[in-house]
Parts: sequence; C-alpha cells; structure tokens
Amino acid sequence: MKTARHAAWIAGALALAAAASPLLPRGTVRGFDLAGFGRLPALEGGRVKPIDSVARNTLLMIRGQQSLPYQGRTLGATEWLLDVLFRPEVADLQNVFRIDDPDVLGMMGMQQTSFRYFSFDHLKPHLAEIQQQAQAAHPVDAKLRSRFQSAVVNLFDRVYLYYRLRNTVQLAGSAGLAAEIPARAAPEAAERQQALIQLAVFRPLLPLAGARADAFRSTGEALVAARAAAPDPALESWARVGLAWSAQDPVPFNAAVGQLTAAAQASRPEAIRQADHEWIFNRAQPFYAGMVIYVLALLALFASWAWKRELLQPVAFGLLVAGAVVHTVGLVSRVVLQGRPPVTNLYSSAVFVGWGAVVLGVILERLYRRGFGTAVATVSGFASLIVAHHLTGDGDTMEMMRAVLDSNFWLATHVVTITIGYAGTFLAGIIAIGWTLRKHLARAVDPTGDKAMGSMVYGVVAFSLFFSFLGTVLGGIWADQSWGRFWGWDPKENGALLIVLWNAIILHARWGGYAQERGIMTMAIFGNVITSLSWFGVNMLGVGLHSYGFMDKAFWALSMFIASQLLLMGLALAPRRFWKGRAAAGTPAGTDRRASETA
Amino acid sequence: MQKPASRLLWDFFTSLKLTIVCLAALMVLVVANTLAQVSLGTFGAVEVFMRTWLVWWHVPGTSYSVPVFPGGALVGLVLMVNLVAAQLRRLELSWRKAGLWITHAGLILLFVGEFVTGMFQVETQLAIEEGQTLNYVEAPRDLELAVVDHTDPARDEVWSIPASRLLRGGRIQLPGSPVAIVVHRAYRNSALSNRRPGDPPSPATAGVGLGVTVRELPAVSRDDEMNSGAALVEPVAGGHGYGTWLVSNALGAPQSFVHEGHTYELRMRNLRQYLPYSITLKDFRHDVYPGTDIPKNFSSLVRLDNPATGESRDVLIYMNQPLRYQGKAFYQASFGKNDTLSVLQVVQNPGWLLPYISTALVTIGLLVHFAIVLQRSLRRRQASPAAAVEAT
Repeated sequence: MKTARHAAWIAGALALAAAASPLLPRGTVRGFDLAGFGRLPALEGGRVKPIDSVARNTLLMIRGQQSLPYQGRTLGATEWLLDVLFRPEVADLQNVFRIDDPDVLGMMGMQQTSFRYFSFDHLKPHLAEIQQQAQAAHPVDAKLRSRFQSAVVNLFDRVYLYYRLRNTVQLAGSAGLAAEIPARAAPEAAERQQALIQLAVFRPLLPLAGARADAFRSTGEALVAARAAAPDPALESWARVGLAWSAQDPVPFNAAVGQLTAAAQASRPEAIRQADHEWIFNRAQPFYAGMVIYVLALLALFASWAWKRELLQPVAFGLLVAGAVVHTVGLVSRVVLQGRPPVTNLYSSAVFVGWGAVVLGVILERLYRRGFGTAVATVSGFASLIVAHHLTGDGDTMEMMRAVLDSNFWLATHVVTITIGYAGTFLAGIIAIGWTLRKHLARAVDPTGDKAMGSMVYGVVAFSLFFSFLGTVLGGIWADQSWGRFWGWDPKENGALLIVLWNAIILHARWGGYAQERGIMTMAIFGNVITSLSWFGVNMLGVGLHSYGFMDKAFWALSMFIASQLLLMGLALAPRRFWKGRAAAGTPAGTDRRASETA
Repeated sequence: MQKPASRLLWDFFTSLKLTIVCLAALMVLVVANTLAQVSLGTFGAVEVFMRTWLVWWHVPGTSYSVPVFPGGALVGLVLMVNLVAAQLRRLELSWRKAGLWITHAGLILLFVGEFVTGMFQVETQLAIEEGQTLNYVEAPRDLELAVVDHTDPARDEVWSIPASRLLRGGRIQLPGSPVAIVVHRAYRNSALSNRRPGDPPSPATAGVGLGVTVRELPAVSRDDEMNSGAALVEPVAGGHGYGTWLVSNALGAPQSFVHEGHTYELRMRNLRQYLPYSITLKDFRHDVYPGTDIPKNFSSLVRLDNPATGESRDVLIYMNQPLRYQGKAFYQASFGKNDTLSVLQVVQNPGWLLPYISTALVTIGLLVHFAIVLQRSLRRRQASPAAAVEAT
C-alpha cells in the first residue's frame, strides 16, 4: 500500500518535471539570440504579444504547424519569420504552403503526390490564376462554396498573408530598412511608406512616450513621422537586425536585439513583461505536455488491468493529477495573459471542457477509488485537448473580444457555467461508454462496479443539469441585457436548451423508473451527441448571433463522432447474450440489474 | 373496473410519462426550429414551430395544410399544466422536497414569462443619424400607409393605416377628415421595376406608379431580408376620386394630392409608434482594435428630452448597457452610413423581470435539492464506511 502511494507520488512528480523541462534556458541557435528576438513585444490582432507568438500563429495559419523542416534541420517559427522579413529570397524557397486539394493542384498543373508542401517560389508562376479564381469564388457565401472554391480562397488568403508578412518591416526586394531611413524624406519614398503601412501584419515599434499602451507603430508609420525629424532609435535598431540577419552575422544581430530589449525595458516595461509571460507560455506548451501525461496515465491504467493493479492504479492516478496540474497551469496562464475568464472562443472552450471533465473525474476517483474516474478523466482530458489542438488553425487563440462579447462578467458567469455543463454531460457519456465497453469486454461480472458507475452517471447528470440550466438562463439574461430579448431561439441558445432538456429527461426517466441502468447509460451516451451538436453543430449552420465559431472542415469529424456514439448506443442496447461477462455470471438475468437499480 | 373519466384525465395530466413526452416533443421542436432557421430565418422559424399551437405542414400541390405536430405553445402549456398538477398530486409538502418545490415554481414562472413575452413583447427600432432628433420608433417588419396632411407648417397631421389593414382591402375612412382611401390591391411583398415596352398596362393612374411595373413575390421572413410591400390605393374625397396611386416602401419619391387646399402626402413606410419624448443622437462611436477590423466598442450618446416631465439629459447607450425608459429598453443594435447612423433596438416587454426571478428560484431550488440529496448519501456512506473501502 505504502509503495503504491510512493509510486504514485514519484510518477506524478516525474511527469511534472518533464513538463517543466522546456523552460530551461536553451542558449542560442547558430549563435543568434533567437529567444531574445522572439520575446520582443509587438502588436498584432489588436493586442500586445511577443514576436514569437506572431511567428507561431502565422506559420500555423500558413502551414498548419509551428515549425518546418528545411535543409535537414527543423526551423523554428521565429527563425522562419526572420527569413520572411529579412531574407525573403531564402524564405521563398521554404515549403510552407500545404495544399491538399487535387483541383487546386491541378489548376497549377501539378499532380497530387505525397509532396504536400509548396514554397512561394513554386506558387509564383500561378499567383495571377490563384488570385483570379479566389476573387471569382469570393462573392459565393462561404457555406455554399464548392470544395475547390473553399480551397482556392483558403490558399489565396494564406499566400496574401505571406505576401504581407514579407512587406511588414521592409519591402521585399527593396534595399531594406537601413536604406529606407536615410531616404525617408525623398518624394518617391512616400509610396513605399504607404505600402509598408498598408501591408504590415504586425506593428513592431513601441508606442511613443505618453501614447496609449496599444498605440504601437509600423515601420511605415515611423518613417512617415520621421520625414522631417530624427528617426526613432528603435527604427535604426530594427534596420540593424535586418542587416545582420540578411548577412547571417550573429554578433550585430544580438547587439541590436539587446538594444531593442533595453529600450523596451526602459520605456514600456509592462509590454515586455506581458510579452515575456506569453513567450514562456508558448515555450512550455502546457496543453501539449498535459496531453502526453494523460496518455501515459491511460496506458498505466490499461496496464493495471492486466498486471499489478494495486501498484499501477495509483500510478495512473498520480499521472492523472500531474496532467490536471499542468492543464490547470496552462488554463490559469491563459486567464492571466488575456485578462479574461477562461472561455473566450471555441478553442478555449475545448480546453475548459476537458479541464472540467478531468477535475470531476479526479473527484469521482477519490470518491469511488475503482479506476473508473481515472479512466474517464484521462480519456476526456486527452480527447478535449486533441480537439482544441485542431481548433488552433485560425491562428491566435487569444484574439481580442468583439464588442458584443466584451464583458468579463458575462463571460465568467454564462460562458463558464454553460461550458461546465458541456463538460459534465460529456463526462456522463464517457462513463456510460466505459460501462458499455466493460459489458462487452470484461469477463468478470462486477455488480458493485456497475452500481458505482450507475450512481456516478446519475450524479454527473444531475450536476450537468444544474450547470447547463444555469448557464442557459444566464445566457438569456445576458441577451436581455445586450439585445433586449431574454430568449430569441438563437441556434446556440437552442443547443444549450437541448442539453438541459435531455438531462432533465434522463433524470425524470430514472425517477419514474422508466429507464433502468442500461437505459440510463444509453441515454447518457446520446447526451454526447446532443452536446457535440450544441457545441459545434449549430455553429455550422452559420445563422444567429453565435456564429463566432464557424468552421467547415470540422463537419466530417463531427459526423464521424456522432456515428460512433450511435454505434456505442447500439452496443449498450445489445441483448445480454452478447455480453462477455454472461457465461461467468451464473446469476439469473436481471438480478444484478435490479440490485444496481436500487441505488 | 372502469375509472371515471375525470380520474383518467387527472392521471394523464399528473403522469411523469407526460412530462417526458413533453420534454421530448420540445426537443423535436427545438431541433426543427434550429434547422429551419437556415431557410426561414430566426423570426420565421419561431413563428412556425414555437409561437403556435400546432405545426402545420403544407401538402405539396394542394392548398391544404395539415397539423403534423403540436406547436411550442401547446407543448409549453401542457408541460405547465403537468408540472402544476404533478406538483399538487405527487410531491408531498415537506422540507425534504423543498428544493423541488422551489425549482418547479421557478420553471412555471419561466413558462409564464415566455408566454407573456410571446403575447406582449413589441420590438421596434430607432434608426437615427448624428444630429437628428426623432420622437418615434419603427417596427422593422411591419409597414403602414401614412397619409400626412402638411398644410399646417407648425405640425403635420398623420393618419396611419397598417399594411395588414390594406391587405384586407375595401374603403378606409380617415377619421376627422373628408378623405377616404379605397384599396384596389395590396401586396405583402413585391418587386418593382421600371416599365418596359410590352409590360401589361399599369393599374395606377397617377403618380410614379404610371412608370412602374409591380410583380407579386412570396413574403419573406429571414432576418436579412425585407418585404417590399406595395398597394394600389385611390384617395376619395367629396365624391371625387384622385386617381389610383402606387405606394410602396421601395419607392423613395414623395407623392401627394391636393384636396380643398390641403396637401396630403401618401407614403408607405415602416409602421411608426410615436413617443411622448424625443431622442437626439449626439455622437456615435465605433472603435476597432488597432491594426484590425475587430470592433472594440459601439456606443451612442443621445439626448433624452421629455417635455411632460421636464427631463433633459444625456445618456450613453453601449454594448450590454441599454437605456431603460418608460417601459421601453433601447439597445445598441447596429450602425451604418459610415458610422454616422446608429440603430437602436427598442423592446417593450412587460414581463422582462420574470425570467430573472425564475432563474433565481430554479437555481436556489436545484442547489437546495442537490444539497439535501448529497447530505443523505453522505450519511448513508458514513453509516456503512466498509462498503466504500471494500469497493476498491
């Protein structure tokens, strides 16, 4: 018993140490202080963030990943961004554009092969055609576009983002910022300055003394302002960064980055602090670490069913708690970085749903100590973080809130409670799936286990009913506050209402005795279908006030998920003779059921 | 043994099965309503599925409609009766059930609130430009034919004929005036186009209608679509007809006729409701986050003038911060004309407080109930601690 407890603590501590290891200083890359450059604050998407975030988010939008292989090594996002900004001739050769659509490839006279990533140079001869096709597809409503039209619009958007990025600090193909500064007052410079202002993806220059904290400036704006005055020292530092990078000379590069950091420390310490926190968050990737730990916990649990249960089950629980700690740290960091409650968009709702399910699972495990809690918590934590990972493709996951959603009070109350409701309903469904699989896979008959699962589902459904109801009506009150309608039958409201109704049906069916253990389990699995539809499905309709999370790619994923849940419901309903534990049962059918129903 | 009918009815209305059937029916309606919003718009779908006693299905190829499902109002009513009846019959009045009593009372109030809203809520709009002063709100979906006597330079006299009245046709006498309006034809929705050679002769005999061809269109209900209503009307006064005029909210040009020195303007427009006070838009702001087009803030600074109460004050209306005044709430809803036009949503709902009360009741009720249940189960657990440990 004691060894088991020690093993649990050791496993958890090791997992936490591994999760913290990316925070150790890593030194320079080929002599360049890329970390120092990545930590510089810039303004993009309306908020201050480190350049590292700008690089990661844009590379994620363009390539779907935060790094890329190039010439036999892995290029980090910051290094890629430096190439795009200051060595476009090199960046243009890097394969960053992922193209999967065969029609788009065919339009460019290419065959679909295993080679999926193309460089800007590959696309150059076809830019006019891509633009023309995208413009033709643009007036078509996003929902009605054909696969080709969606793909070509998507490619054009990525190419255009890349093009803007090349012209953010200095114009690609020009002599560079170092030449732009002395020529800033020349008449022909005005056009170039305007182009820089128009195209800049992010604003690298800190606000002037006395200006608002978000009044960052693009190099174009700083050049215009300096037409009849001395140039901003930061502008000159950026010019030196550019010269040093294009010459691939680390010493002046590191010196110029040092100057920029020191200047920012002196004039805008809060911006550099903010950027630093986010840089650490980016580097730690807590949700990725959490995902890995959850998988390890699940593997330990699987192993415990076959071998040394009394040792491995606590180890699995220890890992689960470590995963939950890392998950929580990630969640709290986002709250601190954004200055917002935890759920602000679809991505963060997935992170939060997983977190809620994990916390509930940990509580269930402490209450019942049978390993079920660990199993459902790890599965839901892992699954939700995977879902979240696939929702990051739009770039920044901490984007600014639109005016109508800009209310921390309602985000903290309505959005958080409704998301807890989602988490609970999913957790009940996952426990029910566990029950179903156990019936079909486990040889031993275990009425106490069934009883425990039955009461877990009951408790969790009651919990979810409370939170989904409260969340739904709080949403109504928010709607009344901002649009004057308590209830407008908006699709998202309807989705939330469906969850409330379904949980109410489950509870009433149980109270009335109309559904027994098996029926309740089947209904709980259907709760997964309802919740997934309400969470993602209604956004796909593209109507109503909540269409903030519209996405088309997820449609198939959602359909597959629903199909799988319906299949599991079928399994749950399969007659007793299909169950594995039947032969060993030796009890007349129905006794154990009645025993568990008295719970 | 046969049970008496009243007993059967009582059993029916107090049964828990009925609760479940109603909840399931409500789910079906909610799903259908949500899917229908893609084609009908939110407003249209709610009319078809929710604010109705029965859901009708139009048999294709005929003019018949058959009821296929109970509508939201019916299901809601049955659920409410069920809730009240079951409460009276089954739930004993005890502290143990206090949570459920409070919860169900809150739910009943929630249904009542939705019925009150369905029946009494009036939604209008105030579209106002910077510097403009308005003393009326407009219904965004309903039209009226306004007959305006401009003779007195100090004040206009306005007669309003709702479009629904025009659709019934016939002769409408304007009270207190010699003029009557004879409706020859009215369209709920129409398309107007310039007359081309070969078009059938225009039924209009006066005004811009002479050069316009009207085509009837099916009425629309989607949130992003507007009906252009139209009507062919003939003003009659003193036994004299002033010709048949085409009026439509899609026509911009003013049209008027003169009778006994009075100039009457005919104009079809959004149904107006005049207010005993006036609102002036002083400033509309639409801020975006720097470097993006993500809206950061919308706000309207308005001046509220009420001669009856002597009030004259500035009010800032912004997101999540409406102006509630004399039973109406003014919300920032939209904007236009290069950020010089602000559109305020105006809602009048006498039952607006009910959901707040019911929410509080249900929340407290559920908390009380689950606390009681938890306490019981913990007590049971303490009574047999062995069972909990054994289970591992």
